[in-house]
Amino acid sequence: MERIPILKMGQSLLVSIQVDMHDRLALSLQDDLTQQIVNTRARGVLIDISSLEVVDSFIGRMLANIAAMARVLDAQTVVVGMRPAVAITLVELGLSLTGVRTALNVEKGMRLITESGGMEDGAGSDE
Amino acid sequence: MIKLFEGVLAVPMIGTLDSSRTQAVMEALLQKIVDTESELAIIDITGVPTVDTLVAQHLMKTVAAARLMGADCIISGIRPQIAQTIVHLGVELQDVVTKATLADAFGIALRRSNRTIVRMGKTAAAATSDAEPGTGTH
Repeated sequence: MERIPILKMGQSLLVSIQVDMHDRLALSLQDDLTQQIVNTRARGVLIDISSLEVVDSFIGRMLANIAAMARVLDAQTVVVGMRPAVAITLVELGLSLTGVRTALNVEKGMRLITESGGMEDGAGSDE
Repeated sequence: MIKLFEGVLAVPMIGTLDSSRTQAVMEALLQKIVDTESELAIIDITGVPTVDTLVAQHLMKTVAAARLMGADCIISGIRPQIAQTIVHLGVELQDVVTKATLADAFGIALRRSNRTIVRMGKTAAAATSDAEPGTGTH
């Protein structure tokens, strides 16, 4: 079965969604990610959706759910690289993902996590 | 769509806004944010004579979409008449940053990017009226 890779970078997890999401893939990502947050004791989760071209309400809700689950596990989620068309679609669907932090690209998202997460030995720090 | 300086876009809107125009502006702005990697966009509506519920809603959508992409929006140039209309129409501008003038929005943009305007040396005018902080020159 197809899976989305979850990479560990310092104290954060990096998820890059490169394929079109279907519902089962989204659910398995949810499972894997929560498992990985616990296993690696990650403090931040970076979800790169710059290759994601199509979203529906289910995927939108999944992003919000992942962020909420991560928050419960004491990790903060940053969604990066959302395309204009995707952003417009989500807003039209009424999903403005309040509570999810966003950044323009992976670099800026990583800076957001390192700055507010209080990561001393962050391998992802670029300063 | 104007790039003010690195990371800051300005969108001066002039003339009557209808749905198709605001929609076009929204799409162009979001694309420009991606292209220039801007973290802040100032939507200036000084040149807009009237705002109705539909236009206000479109502005709100633009701000929400920009936030999803990781950029902040400031709406500036709200004239008293428009402020009254917005409240009378019952439009909720909840957590959108609004400023009365473009200058105020520009000030925020400077502060957010840790920049400041300093006057270089003393001009003839500044020499006579001393002890004036160098900010606020536009």
